[in-house]
Amino acid sequence: MGVTCVSQVPVAEGKSVQQTVELLARRLEALGADKQGTFGVDCETYHTAATLGTQGQTGKLMYVMHNSEYPLSCFALFENGPCLVADANFDTLMVKLKGFFQNAKANKIESRGTRYQYCDFLVKLGTVTMGPSARGPCPGACLGWGDCPCVIPNDCWNLLMEFMQSFMGSHTPGIPSVFGSKHDSTYSPGDTMVQYMELFNKIRKQQQVPVAGIR
Amino acid sequence: MADGALSPGVNLEAFSQAIAAIQALRSSVTRVFDCLKDGMRNKETLEGREKGFVAAFQESLHSVSRDLGELERLSNLVGKPSESHPLHNSGLLSLDPVQDKTPLYSQLLQAYKWSNKLQYHAGLASGLLNQQSLKRSANQMGVSAKRRPKAQPTTLVLPPQYVDDVISRIDRMFPEMSIQLSRPNGTSAMLLVTLGKVLKVIVVMRSLFIDRTIVKGYNENVYTEDGKLDIWSKSNYQVFQKVTDHATTALLHYQLPQMPDVVVRSFMVSVLENTFFQPDLSVFAVTDIRQFCCSFNFPSSSKLETVILCVSYLDRGEELIPIPLG
Repeated sequence: MGVTCVSQVPVAEGKSVQQTVELLARRLEALGADKQGTFGVDCETYHTAATLGTQGQTGKLMYVMHNSEYPLSCFALFENGPCLVADANFDTLMVKLKGFFQNAKANKIESRGTRYQYCDFLVKLGTVTMGPSARGPCPGACLGWGDCPCVIPNDCWNLLMEFMQSFMGSHTPGIPSVFGSKHDSTYSPGDTMVQYMELFNKIRKQQQVPVAGIR
Repeated sequence: MADGALSPGVNLEAFSQAIAAIQALRSSVTRVFDCLKDGMRNKETLEGREKGFVAAFQESLHSVSRDLGELERLSNLVGKPSESHPLHNSGLLSLDPVQDKTPLYSQLLQAYKWSNKLQYHAGLASGLLNQQSLKRSANQMGVSAKRRPKAQPTTLVLPPQYVDDVISRIDRMFPEMSIQLSRPNGTSAMLLVTLGKVLKVIVVMRSLFIDRTIVKGYNENVYTEDGKLDIWSKSNYQVFQKVTDHATTALLHYQLPQMPDVVVRSFMVSVLENTFFQPDLSVFAVTDIRQFCCSFNFPSSSKLETVILCVSYLDRGEELIPIPLG
């Protein structure tokens, strides 16, 4: 898939996440998009083990992510660092590296939803859920959309904005930061995963604020 | 009894005898009732009359039972009719379909109407197509085979070196466009034109005439598994399929059989220098998705007219409609 933009959908006043998602889904279907199945993006956090780190250096966080758009791949990325695109067997490799990287199971976050196709555009609308425990869905709906044929982000940002405005109205987000760093180089799937990681971190921070503050 | 049967199961001789036996049985039963109806005959003594009546009655009853026995014997001899021909030809009558359940007449009528419409539309289409002749050869139409010049038109037999020179000259015309020439299948050239980081065009040529074009996205694979240039598969994206259609229209529109190099140059120029591509080749940097105008401004010359095709992506997910104007 070509250039992709991931953003969080603001939940309207007095509506639940589910209702917001349904509202957007209905708008997309009215626009004429075809529902094409489901998608899932998940993210697991790993801490670097304390035994490895030198003094004073806090453990770095590593995120291992999967995307149903690329089912045979696994993405590993640091916060501001490089993004590694690996085979699906990378997960078993992480188990073997238990001594160096420890899994923070409570921090697993994922986004699942439906995938719509409209001509050459792909829109993925989903809800973000956090944690294996019965914590319930955290208030977050996320939207990923992309223009398939295009590979230069700066060229097609305006087009993507126009498309978003046609069904999101005034809630269109700003240009993602990854686009700024890539001037004329080709867009890659790793950039999509960086955007997802930033979104998940933002939602995680929101979750830590008391509930009354979110609504 | 002699078996005169036509089929193994049925004994026809016994069959006819059984029918005769039925008639005999009927007549003996009738005689019984006649006897009862007639009553006693007129004899001298009452005993005589009674005896006579009883004797006659018994006689007729015996004949009934005799005929019944004969009929039963014959019916056993007749045998079962074979399953495959239950009633021979008369059995086929039951397979006749009910007339009003087969809409034969209405189907015939629809087929006739359809073929009439088809003929009419074909006539209209041929009239329209004949107005814009797409024949790209140098010969005139209607010239008989004898009068056609025997020699091959010179523009078709060009040395490959000449073709290479023309292409490399065009390649140098624009910095953003790069042309790669290869000859995987004989002498016809295949060009892979790359336009910035936007799209790739595969042009199949026949000496200096452009035969086919396929437009694909920049990230799409243009090679087959063997590593050869893939000239047949279409683009995966609808946008480039539309651009392919326009490019094909352009190459059909430019026809100058005597000066093919002018044709090739104008084709390349028209692909680049129209308002679809901004001068810095930022494709898709359009201001309004609703008016996504792709216009091919053909340079006017003595032979070519200006044709503008507008492709508008209409709002709210309507179909892509090409609207020819002018």
